[in-house]
Amino acid sequence: MVAKRARETEPYLPLTPAMFHVLLALADGEKHGYAILKDVARRTGGRVQLSAGTLYGIIKRLDADEMIEEMNERPDPELDDERRRYYRLTEFGRDVALAEARRHEEVIAIARAKKLLPKLKEA
Amino acid sequence: MTGEGKRGGKLFGWLMRLLPAEFRDDYGREMEHVFQNQAHEAQSKGEGLRRVWWETVTGIFLTAPSQHWQMLKQDTGYALRMMRKSWGYTLAVIATLGLGIGANTAIFSVINGVLLKPLPYRNGQQLLVLQQHSRNSGARGFSFSEQEMNDYRKQSQTLADLVEYHSMSFTLLGLEEPLTLQTGVVSWNFFDLFGVKPVAGRNFLPSDEQHGAEAVLMLSHKFWMERFGGDPKVVGRMFEMNNRPHRVIGVLPPVPQYPDENDIYMPTTGCPTRSSERARTQRNFRMSDVFARVKPGTDLQQVQADLHVITSRLKQDHKDAYPETSGFRASATELKWELTRRARPTFLVLLGTAGFVLLIACLNVANLTLSRVLRREQELAIRSALGANRSRLLRQMLTESTLLALAGGLLGIVLAWGGLDLLVRFATRFTPRAGEVELNLTVLAYALGISVLSGILFGSIPALTGRENPAGTLHETSGRATATQARQRVRSALVVAQVSVSFLLLIGAGLMLRSFWKLQQVDAGFNPENVVAARVTLNFTKYDTPDRRREFFRQFLGRLKANPSVQSATTTLFYPLNQPFPLRGTILIEGRQAESQSPFVAHLRVGSLDYFRALGIPLMQGRLFDEHDGKDAPLVAVINQALARKYWRDEDPIGKRISRDNGQTWTTIVGIVGDVKETALDKDVTEDLYVPYEQVTSASHVLVRTTGDPTAIVKFVRDTVWAVDPQQPVDEIRTLVEVRGESLASPRLTTVLLGIFAALALVITATGISGVMALSVSQRTHEIGVRMALGATPGNVLRMVMGQGLGLVVAGLVLGVVGAMWLTRLMSGLLFAVQPTDPLTFVGVSAALLTVAAAACWLPAKRAVGIDPMRALRVE
Repeated sequence: MVAKRARETEPYLPLTPAMFHVLLALADGEKHGYAILKDVARRTGGRVQLSAGTLYGIIKRLDADEMIEEMNERPDPELDDERRRYYRLTEFGRDVALAEARRHEEVIAIARAKKLLPKLKEA
Repeated sequence: MTGEGKRGGKLFGWLMRLLPAEFRDDYGREMEHVFQNQAHEAQSKGEGLRRVWWETVTGIFLTAPSQHWQMLKQDTGYALRMMRKSWGYTLAVIATLGLGIGANTAIFSVINGVLLKPLPYRNGQQLLVLQQHSRNSGARGFSFSEQEMNDYRKQSQTLADLVEYHSMSFTLLGLEEPLTLQTGVVSWNFFDLFGVKPVAGRNFLPSDEQHGAEAVLMLSHKFWMERFGGDPKVVGRMFEMNNRPHRVIGVLPPVPQYPDENDIYMPTTGCPTRSSERARTQRNFRMSDVFARVKPGTDLQQVQADLHVITSRLKQDHKDAYPETSGFRASATELKWELTRRARPTFLVLLGTAGFVLLIACLNVANLTLSRVLRREQELAIRSALGANRSRLLRQMLTESTLLALAGGLLGIVLAWGGLDLLVRFATRFTPRAGEVELNLTVLAYALGISVLSGILFGSIPALTGRENPAGTLHETSGRATATQARQRVRSALVVAQVSVSFLLLIGAGLMLRSFWKLQQVDAGFNPENVVAARVTLNFTKYDTPDRRREFFRQFLGRLKANPSVQSATTTLFYPLNQPFPLRGTILIEGRQAESQSPFVAHLRVGSLDYFRALGIPLMQGRLFDEHDGKDAPLVAVINQALARKYWRDEDPIGKRISRDNGQTWTTIVGIVGDVKETALDKDVTEDLYVPYEQVTSASHVLVRTTGDPTAIVKFVRDTVWAVDPQQPVDEIRTLVEVRGESLASPRLTTVLLGIFAALALVITATGISGVMALSVSQRTHEIGVRMALGATPGNVLRMVMGQGLGLVVAGLVLGVVGAMWLTRLMSGLLFAVQPTDPLTFVGVSAALLTVAAAACWLPAKRAVGIDPMRALRVE
């Protein structure tokens, strides 16, 4: 059996901050659009504000690149608004988010080595 | 929902329209949901909606362009793949549109350069041409004297300044051969008024126009480039002119010259006649044209009113010079209008014609595209079933059609660039602004604009007439999709439209052809065969007395006539079809009083002894000039039939006397000759008065009639001039056949251009008809099979198919005739002896179009007749 070749993440890096935050928002589970928006605002303390206009341009792009997908399963209609659509990370999207996070990590490590950032205190 | 909520919802809906329809379909409801949640949250926190609106609006404005761009990239990639798959269709569309767009771009480059661009002078819209008129001065008016110019200058409230101009010839000596230089004699500030700065040297100064100043001149750009190769070292050189040396002080830039193409310019003090005592002191010594610049903020109406005040004052102060009955007045015309007056009607007709050719091309391509859409219905159905909505498909088809049109536009620009030289030469015949014709950014933007419009036009017709639900095709059991009835009607309508527009073009070309043919048939009243003309403008310094001038021509003509191949030779001032300006003047007729409102007038013509023989002008009555009509003999004249009819209708003019100088001397009429078209073949004959050269000694040309080919004696004519005087220039040598041909050049070129456009339109339309009929036959194969199986003969089938095709053509013809009856009036100014609704042309063009259309229907009809009914019945 031939192993399926993993898709290259390199062509998609670096991600824009907004795209990365959308992937991060989906990293801990599926969400609908408004929830993604709220999650990003909360995590960044309001520094990254997505709007209806910008969010769905990003969702369309991530969907086209197969980093996210729409879920077919939906909650109980009585608890839900039919206009909502739920999205989750694909495996490839998780790989891309991971690659982007590692890229940030490398940069931070260089900043620490250059004493731009203080070293982490050992527990 | 509250009122504010409803308004907010409406506004959000308008904003969403900025996004592509497909995006709205995919995410629109979600976006609305998110926005409402954000608004609700903000309101519940008491924060107001401003921030939410701001983020939403900016987000949509940022997202929309990138989404549209993404879709455009997708559509473009798809369109290019489709174009590669159908090379035949792609090349046919690009070629058809390329020709149409190329023709339009070429003609527009001329319109832009000549009619639309501002004059290449400083504030060109402020420049005027002034004219003076009297009752018998004709449409072009008469010149100004120095005293009159001073009066206008002093008294005008609306003119900032005015300058003068007249043209004459000088002889340039000291080169390999003497040259006649066409010279503009101008005020010192002539070029300052126009805002024209020299490219080398300097402009004239006030000191250059002082009496006794050094003689100076400026070169025109064309003369500088042709004679001196653009060498700036020519500034400062001394030119050995016929009267005295002149220093070259400057070179002009390449600006349009009006009213004449001159080689050099000099200040008024350079012209002996203009700087004479008579010119300075006599109010009626008129020889100058006048240009003026208005004061800022002044319009033409105010200038006209100002001129009226001045002329009223002049009539009051100088009653002798301006009698009440003369109808003396002055007028002003914008220089831009003067420079383009002759060009305007022809160029606008050509632009309209080119526009029609492009319209036909678009209609033809729309039909081609309709056929292609029919063949692609399965593909469109699948795409629709996979989620592409109608507007998406429409957008994709428009992208494809616009790309094809842009490719056609590129080809059109290349074709226009290739034909630019020819166009400039064509435009030169109509306007001095021809040198400004170029393919600049405006012309390229025009080409781009009409390319995009063409793409939208020919792309939208098939797209908008498509099925509401393309996916419906998938349910049809037949593998071959049938065109909807609506599409069939559209195709027929497109053919009808093509035929009607083609008819318009063919009528235009047909009328011009008939007009041109009639022009060619015009009897000019003289025989141009075997006659050569040459310009011999005598050096006015050397030949400053009538006797010297007579002696030169006596020797020159004597030597010419000694050549056995010379039948006759004569000198003259101008000759037929070569009249640069009219020599129209009032005359007195002995024993008759002219009515105050209409004095006696005649056009002056000068010719030596053999003038009428050399030109083959027939003697109708009396006698021609003979050896006795010399300088000391009684003054004689010969008149033409037109002058005889006008003033001596009921009596014999032979022996009657007229005066050209207000009664100081009297001239006896000795003969009547046939009428000659002196000015142009399409102009009326003028009332002409011929006087012998020996009695007036005004001449600048010679005419030589030969026994054989007149071009064979060109060298002999030159050599003979130089045998008499080696420093006498001789130029502009051409045969009268060439002169006659030259006079027909403009209408010939216009006819050829219209003919080419019409032929192009006819070919495109014929292929369109043929294509529609071929498709119709292939779609009706089953039906034709059934008919033949039920007993229809080949003749029946042929008549059915031809009838269908010719029915469309006849419908197009009827529309075309109605349109032509109305539109051809616009070209009546270009026609000669032909009515815009000439029945013969209409009938002829209709017959030609029907014949071509029948030929286009013939092949598909033959194919229909050849259908095997058994095979046809199996076709679904």
